[in-house]
Amino acid sequence: MRTTNLIQSYIQGYPTSSQYNSEKAVKDFDVNKELANRTFIKPLPNNGKLIRQGIFDIPSSIKKDITYDIKAIGHAAKGEANDHELGRINDVGMRLGGLAIAAYLFTKKQTPMTKIFEFIGLGTFFASMDLWPKLFIQLPAYLIHGVNVRQQYEDSFGRKKMFYQDHQFIPWDLYSDKEINKIGDRLNVPKDIPNRREFIQEKMRKIALQNNTLWMLTAGFATPVMSALMCNLLEGPVERYMSKYKEQQAEKRIRNFPEEVAKIRFDKEEKQLQEILRANEGKAMTSELVDTLGKTLTKDLDYMISHAILKDLKIMLPTDSRYTFDAQGLDNVIDAIKKTYAPLKLSDSELSKVIPDKEALAEVLNSKGLLNSSFKDFSEHSKIIQSLLEEKIDIIKAENPDSQLAKKLEFYLNKFIHQDKFGTDSDLFKSFKQKSAITLTPELSGKLTTLSKTINTLKAKHKILQDYAFLKVGQAPETALADSWNEVSKEIFKAMKFTPREIKDGRIDREIAAKIFREKIEAIASDKSAYDEFIEVVKKGIISLNDSISKVNMTKDPQTNTYASLAEDTFNEAASVFKSLGMKYSEISLVGYDKEGKTSAKALMEEFVRNRTLGVKSSFYRLLNMLDLYRRIATVQNVNGALNFYMPREIKEECAELAKEISLGAHTSDFAVKFWQKRNPKPNTTDYSQIEVEAGKIINKYFGKLPPHKLAELSNDREYFKAVMQLLFTEKIHPDTAHRLNDSGFLNDFEEYRKMAHKILGGDQYFAKPHHLVDYAATESTSLFRFLLMGSSPDEMVFKYFNQTFNSKKWFSMFGKLGGIIAGATILAQFFFGKMKTPQQKQEVK
Amino acid sequence: MILPIRNNNGNNLSFNAKKQEEQSANYDHDTLLKNNIVTRSRIGMDKLTKAFTIYPAKGLAGNKNANFYEFLTMGNVPYLIGSITLMSIFNSANKHFEHFAASKAAKLGNKMALGVILYALLKSLSKAFITYPVKMITGIDTELPYAKINYLLQENPQDYSNLTSIEYHKVGESVDFPRWDQLYGDPTKGEKVNWRYDKIAKKNGLGENLNDSDQEVKPIYKEVLVKSKFAKSISSFLWAATGVALAFQKPWEDYFKVATLKFWKFNKFKHSVRILGESLRDSVKELWKGDINSHSKIARHSGKILAGTALATTILGIINTVHLTKKPQKPSKVLNSDKESVVN
Repeated sequence: MRTTNLIQSYIQGYPTSSQYNSEKAVKDFDVNKELANRTFIKPLPNNGKLIRQGIFDIPSSIKKDITYDIKAIGHAAKGEANDHELGRINDVGMRLGGLAIAAYLFTKKQTPMTKIFEFIGLGTFFASMDLWPKLFIQLPAYLIHGVNVRQQYEDSFGRKKMFYQDHQFIPWDLYSDKEINKIGDRLNVPKDIPNRREFIQEKMRKIALQNNTLWMLTAGFATPVMSALMCNLLEGPVERYMSKYKEQQAEKRIRNFPEEVAKIRFDKEEKQLQEILRANEGKAMTSELVDTLGKTLTKDLDYMISHAILKDLKIMLPTDSRYTFDAQGLDNVIDAIKKTYAPLKLSDSELSKVIPDKEALAEVLNSKGLLNSSFKDFSEHSKIIQSLLEEKIDIIKAENPDSQLAKKLEFYLNKFIHQDKFGTDSDLFKSFKQKSAITLTPELSGKLTTLSKTINTLKAKHKILQDYAFLKVGQAPETALADSWNEVSKEIFKAMKFTPREIKDGRIDREIAAKIFREKIEAIASDKSAYDEFIEVVKKGIISLNDSISKVNMTKDPQTNTYASLAEDTFNEAASVFKSLGMKYSEISLVGYDKEGKTSAKALMEEFVRNRTLGVKSSFYRLLNMLDLYRRIATVQNVNGALNFYMPREIKEECAELAKEISLGAHTSDFAVKFWQKRNPKPNTTDYSQIEVEAGKIINKYFGKLPPHKLAELSNDREYFKAVMQLLFTEKIHPDTAHRLNDSGFLNDFEEYRKMAHKILGGDQYFAKPHHLVDYAATESTSLFRFLLMGSSPDEMVFKYFNQTFNSKKWFSMFGKLGGIIAGATILAQFFFGKMKTPQQKQEVK
Repeated sequence: MILPIRNNNGNNLSFNAKKQEEQSANYDHDTLLKNNIVTRSRIGMDKLTKAFTIYPAKGLAGNKNANFYEFLTMGNVPYLIGSITLMSIFNSANKHFEHFAASKAAKLGNKMALGVILYALLKSLSKAFITYPVKMITGIDTELPYAKINYLLQENPQDYSNLTSIEYHKVGESVDFPRWDQLYGDPTKGEKVNWRYDKIAKKNGLGENLNDSDQEVKPIYKEVLVKSKFAKSISSFLWAATGVALAFQKPWEDYFKVATLKFWKFNKFKHSVRILGESLRDSVKELWKGDINSHSKIARHSGKILAGTALATTILGIINTVHLTKKPQKPSKVLNSDKESVVN
């Protein structure tokens, strides 16, 4: 700035000083000369160039841009940046803000997919901001007119700018005549018009301006829509990738189990324990110390196991306030007495008269078993010592009745024996309690160290196993099991080819969904080829599901189920250490009371996986069973056991209808409590013919013909319920189903499921109505197990499918259309750009 | 710049701005404006209206007078439309969904929409967090506006009327070329030429009654411009991000249940405003405290980190801006009194 001042002073013609000594001044800079010919005013030589960047230049360009931005930030912080640099910094700020939003929302989301989509959303938004003008403005304009409306150039200072940024300053000199003429040819500009270059330039400028304006007008609609559509399209591939990734992550945990366990460090906890042990070694074991040790040892451990360990620790480290009383203790008592009488300043001979002899005291206490042992209660000791001291005072009194000493001694004795505050120990009691019976010995410290190592190993292994189980089968979105469920159910329902109208109607209500679903199944079941085709899809789906859960199939031999065998070993090993340390409760908490150990942590780890896989598998087996039932009814095949010759036609129709309804939409509660159907109390008993079926539907001769008020719920017809269960689960599966499933590898498993469902659901004491046991024998089961066996009802599954499909299609159609319209209009508009009246060609003068 | 050759003789050209801009303001030369809420609102409305009307019309017609100012002003169009579209993306399909799905989607959609609003609001407001402290400390108003008369080219030889336009710029809009001239006083009105520079010089300890306070002030003025722009560029987007984070807090759900803009239903509207205030207060608290039930430390503290970073960048930005390094050296260092000087 000094230079500026100096120049100004020269302009005024009064150079004030020759002492100017700026180090920055150019040595041979002659201001007078420069001012005289004004050479310094002329523009700098043009070193700018058009940027022609290929795809392979992108990395180097990005690197260059980042370097530029970093330098710009440095300049800005020092207050030396220019406009261009500040503009770039604003873009950096925008991206930084975007990243901050994504990072914050990332922390708020629960599942990996939703978390990752925060960044994908941000990425697609910025990508759309960049891609929209490139794909729908720049590219069509180039294809239609041959003009790059987003041409960039580098100015003399190496700053990257848009060529058509400011229409009042377009650096046309960066284009050669040859280039401009080439573009002119593409623009169909006549070759022999006056000022052709200027005309082409004006046309290019106009096209660029119109396109830039179009960009501004459309970007607001296009960027968010394009970003959302990109996210929508990316959802599938990302989901598949994430699913595989999670699967690999889960399997890695089990495959490298020892390494993964070793990664979890407990150095801090171990150090903390050692510090506590060191600080308390040799000291009395107090309840506070036991609590501290317990908390340190069980930090971050499962609550039930922690509870048991704390219980065992209290037994292992008793704190019942026992103190050892021995010869040392006697010395303590005598010292305390001396200290009590100290204010009297007695001579040694006087003291020997008022303090009992140690040997005599020992003899008395010993004779009563009050010495050389540990005691909690010192009241007997106190009485003896009090009486001995009183005896001594009595002797003094007897020797000299007028002596003040006796009174003083009585006063101090009283103070010595009785506590001065309720709940506290007197000085005498304090002297007894000098040596705790239980202290933190080195042996105990060693034991606790071993225990700590065992617990920490257990914690680490437990965590790895829990993580694995969660990633595989956790009751949460995006676990391997959930992904598999979504994929399989989607594939199955997709194969049913629901029309958009059916999906739209079905999404409203579960009952409407059930009706649509039933119509579809009946149609499929009535057509062999459609049925075969559909069963094939279901088969493939179940095979894929079984594959995904095969590694945690708890019905398999533990030797082939790594998770189960690791869980077994982990808990057994820790339990054996607990056993060796005499920690009974801890051992039980890990492996249970008996061999099965049903309530143990180990059983819980196994049960969790078993239950989760059972619930999912049952849902698909139930769907398969439903398809088979509909097929059997549609072909009136393998139904004769239940709908037999002795059953009137009317009841057969009722029975088949109930079986169809139950298979489609019943919950556990429907089986266990309701099982409710309005039937004819006086059915026709003359017609014993078999049901008739057409296109998968039963042609009812009796059922549904009576008005509702003539129907009733018949609670006492146990044979009827038995027949329904038989029709559902114990009739042989249809030959078409059997044929298709022969090579599936799960046919036997499916048959087992049917038997189990019949036995467990039908053998429940309160199945349908009390004591309506299908096989006349009650079976034991829990409501949870029955729930898992029933799985999800097919109508609920399809209802969810309808909803998800409709919602996603609706959104896509709304915004897809909007995006399409904007893109179409943007491209179309460009055909009308750049229209200019061509100047008249000069007529040759003849 | 080489302009296209036009075949007109320039007769009847009019460069009087008054005729065209009467509806908005009367300026016949570049005029410094007061930086107050009235001016800012008027400028904002003028720019917004033109961004949606005149400028797109000029742009689509390929008008030769279209310039960078108009292009930048049109930047408001995608900003506003984009915000509305973004809100719509997360909400407009909901009405077609089944009730449960619709209510779930609406919760997220409403938060997204609020996020868009709070983004824009905080981004805009947060600039004042820097502008005002900097103005108070240095006396430099980095947002000082002025009206610029823009002289136009003829669209065609018959076009004699529409030859000026008014643009609203800021004195410090360009750090390379600040409009220093706008800061000089008008002696014809009895103002001292350098009175604005004098004030800034005094405020920043450069002294009083300086011969050339403008020359002394310009370096620091420019430094303040650069540094404050830098600080605003970083902090405003972080505040905007904080706005989005704020919109994603659970207490807003209470407000969405009662939200209404129907002010003629007074009681409902009043209730809605009250809940808005409560939801805002609770959301700020929740953002700061984080999710106390979360096992993740980051989830518990992410709100604090975000808002804290925004606050820190603002404070650091102000400190850096008011820490002036470009103050001119004292004259005593230029002229060494111990040495002999030759004066011409």
